[in-house]
Amino acid sequence: MQNVEILQEYYLFLREKKEEGKKVIAFIAHDNIPEELIDAAGFIPLRMMFAGNDELMDASHDFLSPSTCAFAQSCIGAFSKKPNYYQFLELIDYFIVSNHCVSDICASEIITNYFNISRLNFYVSYTKTENSLQYFKLELEEFKKQLEEIKGSTIINDDLKKSLKNYNDFKKKLHELSNLNTKGSQKLGLLQEALLYGPKILPKIEKFIQNNKDSQILNNEKSVVLTGCSIFFNDYLNDLIEEGGGNIVFFDTWIGSNYFSQILEDTTIESSENPIDLFVLRFKNNIFGDHSVPNFLSNKVSQIYELCENYKKETGKKIGVINHIIKFCDHMSIMSSHLKEQLQSKGIQVLNLERDYSRANRGQLSTRIEAFLEMM
Amino acid sequence: MSLVADELIRFSSVLRIAYNFLTGRDYLKRRKFREKKKLISVGLPYSDIVYAFPDLVPVLPIRMHEFNIHKYLTYLGSASNVFGWNSVTNFLGFVKDLGIKDVSKAVDDIIENVIFTINEKYNEMYDFGEECGIPTDFCYGVKSLYGMNVSKGKNCDANLNYTIRCSAWNKYLESIKAIGHSSEQIWIEIPPRNIGNSLELLTDNITKGMEELEKLSSYSYSDNTFRNHLQTTNQMRQAYKDILYEVGTSDFYPCNPATFCEILALLNISFHDYNSNAARFRDNITSLLKEMKGRVAKGIGMDVSKMPKILITPMFGGWEPKSHEIIYELGGRVLYGDWDLLLFLEQIPLSNRTDPIEAYAQFLMNITTNGIGCDNNTLTDSYVRIAKNLNADGLVFIQVFGCHSISNCYTMLKEKIRRDLEIPSMALNFNKMGENVEQVRTRLGAFMEMFRY
Repeated sequence: MQNVEILQEYYLFLREKKEEGKKVIAFIAHDNIPEELIDAAGFIPLRMMFAGNDELMDASHDFLSPSTCAFAQSCIGAFSKKPNYYQFLELIDYFIVSNHCVSDICASEIITNYFNISRLNFYVSYTKTENSLQYFKLELEEFKKQLEEIKGSTIINDDLKKSLKNYNDFKKKLHELSNLNTKGSQKLGLLQEALLYGPKILPKIEKFIQNNKDSQILNNEKSVVLTGCSIFFNDYLNDLIEEGGGNIVFFDTWIGSNYFSQILEDTTIESSENPIDLFVLRFKNNIFGDHSVPNFLSNKVSQIYELCENYKKETGKKIGVINHIIKFCDHMSIMSSHLKEQLQSKGIQVLNLERDYSRANRGQLSTRIEAFLEMM
Repeated sequence: MSLVADELIRFSSVLRIAYNFLTGRDYLKRRKFREKKKLISVGLPYSDIVYAFPDLVPVLPIRMHEFNIHKYLTYLGSASNVFGWNSVTNFLGFVKDLGIKDVSKAVDDIIENVIFTINEKYNEMYDFGEECGIPTDFCYGVKSLYGMNVSKGKNCDANLNYTIRCSAWNKYLESIKAIGHSSEQIWIEIPPRNIGNSLELLTDNITKGMEELEKLSSYSYSDNTFRNHLQTTNQMRQAYKDILYEVGTSDFYPCNPATFCEILALLNISFHDYNSNAARFRDNITSLLKEMKGRVAKGIGMDVSKMPKILITPMFGGWEPKSHEIIYELGGRVLYGDWDLLLFLEQIPLSNRTDPIEAYAQFLMNITTNGIGCDNNTLTDSYVRIAKNLNADGLVFIQVFGCHSISNCYTMLKEKIRRDLEIPSMALNFNKMGENVEQVRTRLGAFMEMFRY
């Protein structure tokens, strides 16, 4: 289904939920936001996962400087310009201000201040020490309180565990989806939809897995791991890669493994006395998330290296890495040269692909991708 | 010789601070190789815990570089070792008054170039940072710090890394490890908000940071040493604040306003690591305050009552250093108060706490919660507060290219200034020192027009 149709359908879905009295809680940062808490409170979590364009980026310049992450600019632009295909943004009741990166803070704050959306706070520690985990727990408890105030009653532990289990199973299924030998565009489309709707879309994912479980590796295409920034709705990047003869076999991004790899053992969920601790455990285990310091780079290099080695062993095919950097992204940009250097020293080819959402970029991106794939 | 240089040599303490900054390389070499002390790299004014160990020396890495005017300053330093700084500066003033050209010229060169030399080095580090692969996306401060670490980081035994709200900063700190120097990375996380027992957590994080430093030091941590250091810094913070408020807001300056700004800029840069010697910096800044007050009491200086006070901020991450001269030429006077704005000049609450680490944690938490803030609402309140406290007539906001943190608060700030202070403000784009001086001049010219009537 085309993006526009999906988004139109999503608008209808959200409107229906709103009519049932549910609140919609949106957020820019995908990583570490406890969506199960939102779900357990009976609300709808909505990730900002929509790519921009010149018009949306320009519209944000009334609020922040142009040397800000193009995704953050586009998020603001979406609220400012209100294009039809993002009509569902009107249905948002609350927006979470979080510190995934400083652009997240700034953009979320602007959205809550200037577009009349109530604010919720959820801040995340940068390190993973015991004290940082304790701090993360404090934030979770504060966040839970904020949700309970909106709800008007407490969030019951059993509901929270049920929600955790539900999302956990959902992520396992997405993991299966990721392992299929299908076109990257098919996987991406489903992953995007999955992160938009959540577990509601599980039957569709299951059906797709069932139909494609025996798919064979696409030998005539160059295999690529996408790392760095996500490919969001309405972005043409994956088209360029496929047009150039490439195929993304693994999405190591927010919309991808960063989400579905954060799985807990079923027994851990079942035996937990305080489900808030499960979020803390998940945060602790999330060592590949770009928010964390000081070992993000070394963890990421090991992760990608292992992934590439395994792929080579299983398929006998070479695999390259496209590091997608949305312009002015603090987290991906500063590490990009080190990531490339370290992976290349291990024999893995890397393309650092920096871009914003302007139309003028398309030709240049296409040339760079084609050259990279050819080199592979 | 500029008026700026002419005025500067009258303050021996300024000369000392400049000397200590610019001759840092020799000073640090001596401490490292002769005295076997260890250098700890710092950035932003978070160096205090290093001072808890007498054999550890905090350093803002740029100070390990050789500066162009180094030779002259060495002669001056040697003379001061024999005759004392006050005698040397009195002598320099006397020589200048007599118009003995050669000596006078050398002194002019030294003084006039203090800020210029420092800034030139910052630009060099910025270029070097880019050459070494830091993406162009990042702000002036991060690029130049990166350049400093690549070029001189190998001399340090450790980097002291505090996490703050700026993700570029935190990631820059992580990237230091990837440069490949063997220095230890000591991390202290400051919780983003003061909720629950986060103050206790911060206290414990600082304690753990101390333990890491203790491993590098041959001294054990002692409350007394750290308390004494914090007391020293409280004195310097007070003197710094007095210079800013008592002198900076008065109608009569001990020097011309451009000179006053050069001094504030020098204090701002030196405050990162207290030029690696907190007691010396305290002595210099307190004597600077005394000298300023002494001059004012004698009626030496300049009536600035008719000159509008323009707060230029933030400048710690890079700004056009010609700005204050331009504004002075246009009939205004500039104040730089970044560290006070971010609450680094507040007193560390030692009197009501037995544990100095606890007191320091409270101080840092106050900076995070009420100064820098975990969002732009708090940060803009800090700008409004300082503009109000300084009774500023206008505010120039430096919008640094690639700054995704502070620069993005200007829309909100502009509204608050208009609403709460009713003073004019403008945003001035900045990328690199010296890059757009004429454009800055034009824009400041238009801005200053507003104060003509």
